Amino acid sequence: MAYTISDACIGCRACALICPATAISGEKKQLHFIDGQACIECGACGRVCPSGAVTDEFGLVLERIPKKEWERPYFDLSACLSCTVCLDTCPTGALTQERQKVGSTHLFPCLENEKLCIACGFCVQDCPVDAVTMGARQSAPPKEPVKAG
Amino acid sequence: MSAKGYMGKIMMVDLTQGIVEIETISPKVYESFLSGMGLAAHILFHRIPAGADPMGPENIIGFVSGLLTGTGSLFTGRWMVTALSPLTQGWGEANCGGSFSPAIKRCGVDGIFFKGTSPTPVYLYVDDKGARLKPAQEVWGKDAVETEELLKAAHKNAKVACIGQAGEKLSLISGVSTDKGRMAARSGLGAVMGAKNLKALVLAGKKRIPVHNREEIKRLSQICGKWVKFQPPFVPGWLTGPIGTLLRILPFVATQDGMLYKILLRKWGTVSMNQMSVEMGDSPIKNWKGSNSDWGFFKSFSSNPDAYVKAETEKFHCYSCPLGCGGICKTKGKFSETHKPEYETVLSFGGFVMNKDTDAIFYINELLNRAGMDTISAGHAVAFAMECYEKGIITLADTGGQALDWGDPAAVKFLTEKMVTREGIGDILADGVKLAAKRLGKEAQEMAIHCGGQEPAMHDSRNDPGFALHYSVEPAPGRHTNGAGLYYEMYQLWKKVKGVPKMGPGYLKSSKYKKNLNHARVGKANSEYLNVMNGAGACLFGGFLGAKRIRIFDWLNAAAGWNFTPEEYMEKGGNIQVIKQAFNVKHGIEPKANRAPDRILGLPPQVKGANKGRTVDVETMMADYWELFGWDRETGKPGKEIVDKILSIA
Ligand code: SF4
Ligand code: SF4
Ligand code: SF4
Repeated sequence: MAYTISDACIGCRACALICPATAISGEKKQLHFIDGQACIECGACGRVCPSGAVTDEFGLVLERIPKKEWERPYFDLSACLSCTVCLDTCPTGALTQERQKVGSTHLFPCLENEKLCIACGFCVQDCPVDAVTMGARQSAPPKEPVKAG
Repeated sequence: MSAKGYMGKIMMVDLTQGIVEIETISPKVYESFLSGMGLAAHILFHRIPAGADPMGPENIIGFVSGLLTGTGSLFTGRWMVTALSPLTQGWGEANCGGSFSPAIKRCGVDGIFFKGTSPTPVYLYVDDKGARLKPAQEVWGKDAVETEELLKAAHKNAKVACIGQAGEKLSLISGVSTDKGRMAARSGLGAVMGAKNLKALVLAGKKRIPVHNREEIKRLSQICGKWVKFQPPFVPGWLTGPIGTLLRILPFVATQDGMLYKILLRKWGTVSMNQMSVEMGDSPIKNWKGSNSDWGFFKSFSSNPDAYVKAETEKFHCYSCPLGCGGICKTKGKFSETHKPEYETVLSFGGFVMNKDTDAIFYINELLNRAGMDTISAGHAVAFAMECYEKGIITLADTGGQALDWGDPAAVKFLTEKMVTREGIGDILADGVKLAAKRLGKEAQEMAIHCGGQEPAMHDSRNDPGFALHYSVEPAPGRHTNGAGLYYEMYQLWKKVKGVPKMGPGYLKSSKYKKNLNHARVGKANSEYLNVMNGAGACLFGGFLGAKRIRIFDWLNAAAGWNFTPEEYMEKGGNIQVIKQAFNVKHGIEPKANRAPDRILGLPPQVKGANKGRTVDVETMMADYWELFGWDRETGKPGKEIVDKILSIA
């Protein structure tokens, strides 16, 4: 089920600009509209909407969260299988692969460009072995090389 | 979203009219044939008319993902291309990994099919706004790597599958390339794209892929992932040759647990088997006429895994693959980088043509990946030309003065380059050995090794008669990925499926060559299971982990919300085999005509080497196999009743 935009919309275009599926249309200062076929339910529109106009399938308003408080994905490299599912599932292309284990030529996912991440959590949902968790930015573990295992 | 695991729709693109339509597919179709290759078989049987020209507008080429692709299951990121094959004139299929399979589903469909012929070169572009055909003039003439780079630069976050020069030049051994050199190579389907003026598919959809029970899928993935991660230290690369020698000498065989192969694959990739395979008699030498003793231990050492892995700078994992058998290699010479050459490529251009120059193989690997040409078939064409040269059927006058001596890397490169550009002798060879022999005349027939038009892979049917059976009975003949005795051992299906043959801890080698209905029973189970795997989008190497470690049946139930038993899934695999066989019969193929040629069956038997004295009675196995499916024992044709029942499902 897709998300919808209510009359509370002020036409600021914040949602249309962030939607990774280009599902939102509408003129400036006019009521916006979400194409239900294109919506992937990432919720980014709700997180940026200043007027609480985006509602989910149950009619609940999505909460606006300041960008600096958005959670980010963290990867447990000892559990990760380098399967690239998270990279593929990310709707914004925010993830890249890097060599992160000493002595291993396998590549592991990393969030190189934080600005691209919309905190949708799809990488967490889709990881086949639960190697990804969402956490506050400041909880980021220091990036250190991990020994191959 | 009502569909589960699968998207429930296909995209049909009419290239003549420039129209794109989305069609809803009945859940019954998925329940009976799964998705992937099964879905494609169902669509193609009903929609390609008998008598259609494979290179004409009536042929339909389909790109399908698997039912399990994108569901959180592992080893299930394979996509498949399928059409009426211009190489065999019958059922055509090719299979590929990389990252393209989920891209199909993210467009909201399980498969993208093309009919008609575009008047000018085009590519299909799909994003959130829908699908449209775009002019491809700027990429027409470019190789597959250049094409992918240009199209990805033009379309952010897109995945690309495309043809190179070989497909454009309608080479009947051309394939479809993705991820800069992964190939869906078999059946000559690149030529079908070329004939349709279709250069590429560029997919940038972002749809979510639905699943019924994500937690259960993850639970099963954890089990599978643990087995993949179990990686004890293994022997150094140089020991793989002596192990092959030992396996050759021993009179008995220990039933293989695929974990052993998994360990090799994770360490080295498919090249792990190169030298072992030559030494044990699994890899054909000198156009199937020679043997390991002609090639010799020190020459086979040139194909040792270390020779390839030392150039590997990073591992390559296909989508949803925890193993990572692929790799990216830095190379010397014209190309600075290439995908790690696969087993088939190394041996097609190694022992098969008697070449021990590894640099030449790295170069040919990239050249053919970029051209989009099948390395198995191209290796056969080179070996065929060398044998013809030896016999005086091809002369210096035909080659413009280039000698074609066995093992000469300059000759191997010359022939490969000429095939890619279709110049001179290359034009004769670029459509595979069957047509090349026809062009060169009667004396060349004996040297043209093919099954129903398609060149078999680098697995010697005299070493594993299961290969002979599957080369001969599969609707897409000559393929090594549909079944073999060894594969059955590794699948360990008897631990999950009731009624299939059980295997003990070992057996005498000689028993493989004795008449025994079990050979056909194993063959039938192999075909059925592989159809399930291809319906799921699963990787054969994952399958080798064994049915208890890679839970395809359970994943399918969890993804689609079904409750089928393993035996019921095997029946669905059988349904798919019926359609594919009926497809061949509809298009005028006599199943018997796909029988492997005498030379590769040991008729007459070899007088030296690993396979000395061995002959495979493939006719009996073929007849037994067909009879077990309930088809005509003599002709291999399924009866009308069987076909009608399967085809009535819509
Ligand atoms: S939920 Fe995501 S896809 Fe749907 S409209 Fe909002 S931003 Fe776009
Ligand atoms: S949460 Fe994960 S999937 Fe979503 S945008 Fe960020 S990195 Fe991509
Ligand atoms: S999906 Fe999970 S296991 Fe796969 S690469 Fe991403 S973090 Fe690793």
